Amino acid sequence: MGDSQYSFSLTTFSPSGKLVQIEHALTAVGSGQTSLGIKAANGVVIATEKKLPSILVDEASVQKIQVLTPNIGVVYSGMGPDSRVLVRKSRKQAEQYHRLYKESIPVTQLVRETAAVMQEFTQSGAGRPMLGWLQTILDFNVKLKKTKLRALGNMSHKKTLLGVRPFGVSLLVAGFDDNGPQLYQVDPSGSYFSWKASAMGKNVSNAKTFLEKRYTDDMELDDAVHTAILTLKEGYMHLKLLFF
Amino acid sequence: MSRGSGGGYDRHITIFSPEGRLFQVEYAFKAVKASGITSIGVRGKDSVCVVTQKKVPDKLLDQTSVTHLFPITKFLGLLATGMTADARTLVQQARNEAAEFRFRYGYEMPVDVLARWIADKSQVYTQHAYMRPLGVVAMILGIDDENGPRLFKCDPAGHFFGHKATSAGLKEQEAINFLEKKMKNDPAFSYDETVQTAISALQSVLQEDFKPNEIEVGVVRTDSPAFRVLSTEEIDEHLTAISERD
Repeated sequence: MGDSQYSFSLTTFSPSGKLVQIEHALTAVGSGQTSLGIKAANGVVIATEKKLPSILVDEASVQKIQVLTPNIGVVYSGMGPDSRVLVRKSRKQAEQYHRLYKESIPVTQLVRETAAVMQEFTQSGAGRPMLGWLQTILDFNVKLKKTKLRALGNMSHKKTLLGVRPFGVSLLVAGFDDNGPQLYQVDPSGSYFSWKASAMGKNVSNAKTFLEKRYTDDMELDDAVHTAILTLKEGYMHLKLLFF
Repeated sequence: MSRGSGGGYDRHITIFSPEGRLFQVEYAFKAVKASGITSIGVRGKDSVCVVTQKKVPDKLLDQTSVTHLFPITKFLGLLATGMTADARTLVQQARNEAAEFRFRYGYEMPVDVLARWIADKSQVYTQHAYMRPLGVVAMILGIDDENGPRLFKCDPAGHFFGHKATSAGLKEQEAINFLEKKMKNDPAFSYDETVQTAISALQSVLQEDFKPNEIEVGVVRTDSPAFRVLSTEEIDEHLTAISERD
């Protein structure tokens, strides 16, 4: 396998103590389509822009908001293909929990496990000296011939991943369980926070300002849906003003 | 040594650039265009048709061995635009996967499931450094039991969408502009209209009239759901119909 050539972490600390690959991943998220979530008194709403590249695309075949369990849903901003991996992984984790405990997984637990997957991809590989890097690139063409294709789906193994990049998505997980309605945002670094309302992707600062003004703790779900749509429209309008 | 910008390796393997881009994925898209071929797919009311150029660079080549249209199962077809070697790998794996699906679950792999599988595989290559993304855009066609004729397109980034009509390759954007005009009012094309729209789109965008052996055409129809590559005689009939119409 070509993996041993990448047995060092692609996400390493810079001299200033930053993990730049994660920062770049966040930049990728920031240029994705806007999505947002609002926690109401009796429910949670998540919404997203669904701008398709052409009118020829069959819009029924695209579903950005996905169900993880009957009472937990998720939306993303950033790279669609990366989000599919996380959705698939989360669904499986939820099901495994149910098999073990005969209960639906609480929102916090599912969020924690999903975040753990995202964190794994930022800490891939064992340490190897920097010099190995150059050797690797030079060997790349030679090793390519010997590299076998590896099947997807091995992420449940405990061994560390080798030569991977962080996920280019932030997720908004909305759920309702015994602790009431909950909304969590998970970032490419694997850190997650609970939010009353949050936005991600393009226009995030305008969206958040708008949400801050409009949010009240005792909002009803219908109000929250209305506010969510208004916020997305606001982002649209703002963009139009910028150009004209 | 600062690894601030990935040390310049963000162009060599699929790690993020400072702007949050994946250069290797973007270069893979360029590789698809570099093949010099354009392909078109159109979905009609009860059929799907895909068309691609058949450029045989050398007269000594056996024409029948030059193809970009591959049956994956009896009912699913795949049109690969881009690097032919990568295409063959993809086709081989897809055929294996579809056969295993049939064995495991007892029914034929649906179009969108295959498209999703191909897209998910492509996504792995964009996230793991040890494999480069494939330089292929795949169009999958088939008749779905529940949803009728379907056309999907999968790209090196791991995106996949269902399409009413689409294009890939060198003149992709021009073809999409042409098709957007044609499909604007959601027309429900019959089988003949579907095939002729696809072929005439290709002719218009490449600004040349084809001879029957210069293009490859693959179809699936609700009343005969097996994936079929049209013979040169059938292509000729359609070409004649198009030129008579104009």
